[in-house]
Amino acid sequence: MDHSQNHIHDQSAANLCYQFGSDNPFLGMGIQQPFAPFTSPFGACSSTNIPHMDWDPATMLDNLTFIEEKIHQVKNVIRTMVDNGSQLPCRPGELGQQQQVVNADLTCLIVQLISTAGSLLPSLKNSSFLSHPPAGHTGIVKHVGSSSSFVPNELCSPEDYEELFKGFTDGAMEGGIEIDNVLVEELDAKDGDEGGDAGMDGEILPPGSYELLQLEKDEILAPHTHFCTICGKGFKRDANLRMHMRGHGDEYKSPAALAKPPRDTSAEHEVVKRYSCPFVDCKRNKLHKNFQPLKTILCVKNHYKRSHCEKSYTCSRCHTKKFSVMADLKTHEKHCGRNKWLCSCGTSFSRKDKLFAHVALFQGHTPALPTEAKTSSDQIGAVGSHQEPAKLPNSMGSSFMWGTSSGGNSALDIKGFDGCSDDFLSTVNFGSFNFSFGPADGFTGEPSGGSFPMMPSEHFQNAQKKGKN
Amino acid sequence: MSREGQKLDSAAGAGGVGIGVLSLDLLGQVLDRLREPRDRKACRLVSRAFERAEAAHRRALRVLRREPLPRLLRSFPALERLDLSACASLDDGSLAAAVAGAGGGLAGLRRVCLARASGVGWRGLEALVAACPRLEAVDLSHCVGAGDREAAAVAAAAGLRELRLDKCLAVTDMGLAKVAVGCPRLEKLSVKWCREISDIGIDLLAKKCPELRSLNISYLKVGNESLRSISTLEKLEELAMVGCSCIDDEGLELLSKGSDSLQSVDVSRCDHVTYQGLASLIDGRKFLQKLHAADCLHEIGQRFLSKLATLKETLTVLKLDGLGVSDSLLQAIGEGCNHLVEIGLSKCSGVTDEGISSLVARCSDLRTINLTCCNFITNNALHSIADNCKMLECLRLESCSLINDKGIKQIATCCPNLKEIDLTDCGVNDAALEYLAKCSELRILKLGLCSSISDKGIAFISSNCGKLVELDLYRCNSITDDGLAALANGCKKIKLLNLCYCNKITDSGLGHLGSLEELTNLELRCLVRITCIGISSIAIGCKSLIELDLKRCYSVDDAGLGALARNAFNLRQLTISYCQVTGLGLCHLLSSLRCLQDIKMVHLSWVSIEGFEMALRAACGRLKKLKILTGLKTVLSPELLQMLQACGCRIRWVNKPLVYKDC
Repeated sequence: MDHSQNHIHDQSAANLCYQFGSDNPFLGMGIQQPFAPFTSPFGACSSTNIPHMDWDPATMLDNLTFIEEKIHQVKNVIRTMVDNGSQLPCRPGELGQQQQVVNADLTCLIVQLISTAGSLLPSLKNSSFLSHPPAGHTGIVKHVGSSSSFVPNELCSPEDYEELFKGFTDGAMEGGIEIDNVLVEELDAKDGDEGGDAGMDGEILPPGSYELLQLEKDEILAPHTHFCTICGKGFKRDANLRMHMRGHGDEYKSPAALAKPPRDTSAEHEVVKRYSCPFVDCKRNKLHKNFQPLKTILCVKNHYKRSHCEKSYTCSRCHTKKFSVMADLKTHEKHCGRNKWLCSCGTSFSRKDKLFAHVALFQGHTPALPTEAKTSSDQIGAVGSHQEPAKLPNSMGSSFMWGTSSGGNSALDIKGFDGCSDDFLSTVNFGSFNFSFGPADGFTGEPSGGSFPMMPSEHFQNAQKKGKN
Repeated sequence: MSREGQKLDSAAGAGGVGIGVLSLDLLGQVLDRLREPRDRKACRLVSRAFERAEAAHRRALRVLRREPLPRLLRSFPALERLDLSACASLDDGSLAAAVAGAGGGLAGLRRVCLARASGVGWRGLEALVAACPRLEAVDLSHCVGAGDREAAAVAAAAGLRELRLDKCLAVTDMGLAKVAVGCPRLEKLSVKWCREISDIGIDLLAKKCPELRSLNISYLKVGNESLRSISTLEKLEELAMVGCSCIDDEGLELLSKGSDSLQSVDVSRCDHVTYQGLASLIDGRKFLQKLHAADCLHEIGQRFLSKLATLKETLTVLKLDGLGVSDSLLQAIGEGCNHLVEIGLSKCSGVTDEGISSLVARCSDLRTINLTCCNFITNNALHSIADNCKMLECLRLESCSLINDKGIKQIATCCPNLKEIDLTDCGVNDAALEYLAKCSELRILKLGLCSSISDKGIAFISSNCGKLVELDLYRCNSITDDGLAALANGCKKIKLLNLCYCNKITDSGLGHLGSLEELTNLELRCLVRITCIGISSIAIGCKSLIELDLKRCYSVDDAGLGALARNAFNLRQLTISYCQVTGLGLCHLLSSLRCLQDIKMVHLSWVSIEGFEMALRAACGRLKKLKILTGLKTVLSPELLQMLQACGCRIRWVNKPLVYKDC
């Protein structure tokens, strides 16, 4: 999360502008504001967000005038920067700050242009992503160092607006403009239901600031994306294709042909690309109310497989868990079988507290104990070396047959159990265990009191002799 | 035999027909009214009608040996309480077989005690629980080998209300969870010393067993989180958490937020609890009756005292052992808690006569006062106790060496209900015993280390204290055979007698003791003059003898052990360290005593390795505890040691030098 927060910090200015532009409800409602307050040099953009209206020339004119003024403002700022730079050496931090402000203004201009132009296009008019920004941009702005640190969404009077604006400019002067990170964070956590997709990755781009692409199902599921132009063989990676091409002739063997194609330098200035899932009603589909775009093609592939495809890979260890992405299976298989905390319902957990929370939640579920062998070894470990498991060692078999009647009996009994103890423990037949005892009359034989018939005579004599010695 | 028994006996003898015509039901009612087990036995032996009635009506059974268990379970189908805690050589197989043999005879069984039955494992328990659908209480305490599997076996008894798992060392959270899920109606649970249990287990227990009324988590490594869980128990009345060093004031504050049902709290030996925590606990629990805070407090602040005063009406028991107190503190307690019945000030420094007198001035209900090692108190304190606490039943004054017969006189005169007094190391003399003899209700008398006590004092006690049950004469070395004669004559009810180091005692003294039929525990350590003759008379006369200590009785030989082997059939614990016995005597002893479970035999220099091997093999399966020299570890056969451990026997290897001493 830290990473994403930093990211937000970097972009805070841009976001802020965007928010001002699109999200002040009174502007959306068509209340026209005088442009007087915008004369401040750091004046943030205000926009007339119009997609719900049929466009009328007067509004359009206003918009264009605003954009023009805005360009002038930016121009002035940059000019002062140039002047200052030639007179005094500017500290890099300060310069960076000013650049950031300029960047923000420029982004704001782009947004304005797009939204203004977008309103002209009938096809874009109903597309919801312009009018409904992701919920993270609910327009709550924190102005550090300003009197109103928290500005509510519903500002209705011009005075309020002015105050808001003042606050903003104050904050901007001190260079401490910040998005309320907590809010964004919360949102991310909520939306992170497809954790592995890395769709947003904490980065929040305003709709419209990127190019939105939507691959079709066939494209997404196609195993190969690079095809040989000669034989038509498909490859997952371009590098593999290039290796393959060597077989088609010497001209493909030149270092130039084998080298990685140079990145188009213009690509860096290209508008960021984002992707939409072709599955309608999916959150990642561009028509969804809370649409969140996917970042890369890989994200699209993984997301589509995970969310909208059958889970065809089954874990070879537990035979229960299924996955649609091979990598997920591999990850699972690494940990599968290590879940030693078992519930009677068959669910297993890697941590004891998780199991106990599960048991607490469901009536009748109970922890299943690990296998017999494991229990006894655990007991030895826990209790200390003097504690032996109830099992008798196999070594004491025939050598001890002459022992007391009681001792012999118990040995036999426990052995009788040992035979069945192995399969006892699979949770399935828990409780179906039957005792198998020797004949009960074995116990009724009273040990003969008085003398010691159980002792071989020569042993006994030895004992006596040594005792007297 | 009591008078009731004799009457019935004669009736049965004179007119067996008369008894025979009474219905079994009526005879059962008669038997129910007999208090002494001996009397019931007499009836059973004399009349077949009574035998039948008892078979049909008997509710409780305590079995001492494994062999008759199946027969006994078959013949008493109405059994409700079964005590197998003293059952020698009980193991899984025999228990399961006995239960299986009893058929449906155990359907009514409600309570089973398997304390210290270390040979019993989950297989036997499973069979037992399956055969007893109405089981309500199980005691598995001190089965040190018992673990999760045993707990799981018990958890199959869904109707269980009481369970004791004290010192079942291998029970973990998993076992506790099994119990919590399996027995949702649990009301009493003790998991004392189950060190593997953690907060997670206690939390689940609190969630699954809302009916819990009594819970003992003493010596567990649980922390404040457990108390948060426990505070959700609506019906909890009793909570013991002795020696929980991870619990502190914060935990007690969490506990104070629970319901008002809590009546008794024990935080003894909780090192991190202070008076502040107790104050907040009292603040939340207005109906607290018992507060045990022994050996955990170092000081007491005003806040605690003012909170204590709010418990004026309810608090009956307060234990502050080991605390440094002052007169003003004792006065504040006395004024704050008028209804105290028991106060514990053992090993408290700073207890003075003034403090005691201001404490007891307002607490006239006190029945038990523990002043062990409060060595500053004098007769004045005893005077004020005697003047104020007329109901006094128990007074412990060990090591209060400033008191003498004057103080005792006052106590004996004013407190006629006195049942127990501990005067160990108080240096009292025969005159004190003369006064004490006025207390005819006296049950327990401890006079250890009072070397000035002579036969005369014992004679005083014997003359009037016929109800005496326990007498401790440790190192009262002026006592001779005559004292024992008087004792045996006057105190027929004695069960526990300690005569260690009273080295003037000879065989003739033991001959007198032979008339004490109810004697169960006898300690004769270092009585160098006694021989096989004295041992014989005890073995023959004291039929109930369970524990016998003969350590350093250098004159006891094989013949003495032979007498025990032939007669002391109930003997369960025996110490024969340093006795002059040989392998032959040892073998004879261990193969004959079928109830023997605990034997200490260190430095038996006359016994060979083979002798030990034979003797232990003969007793193997019955022994649960064995104390023996470390040197034997390597020379005894590994099979024998494995066998012993497999049967649940714990061996304590000692490595002490051989030292002969006379006293």
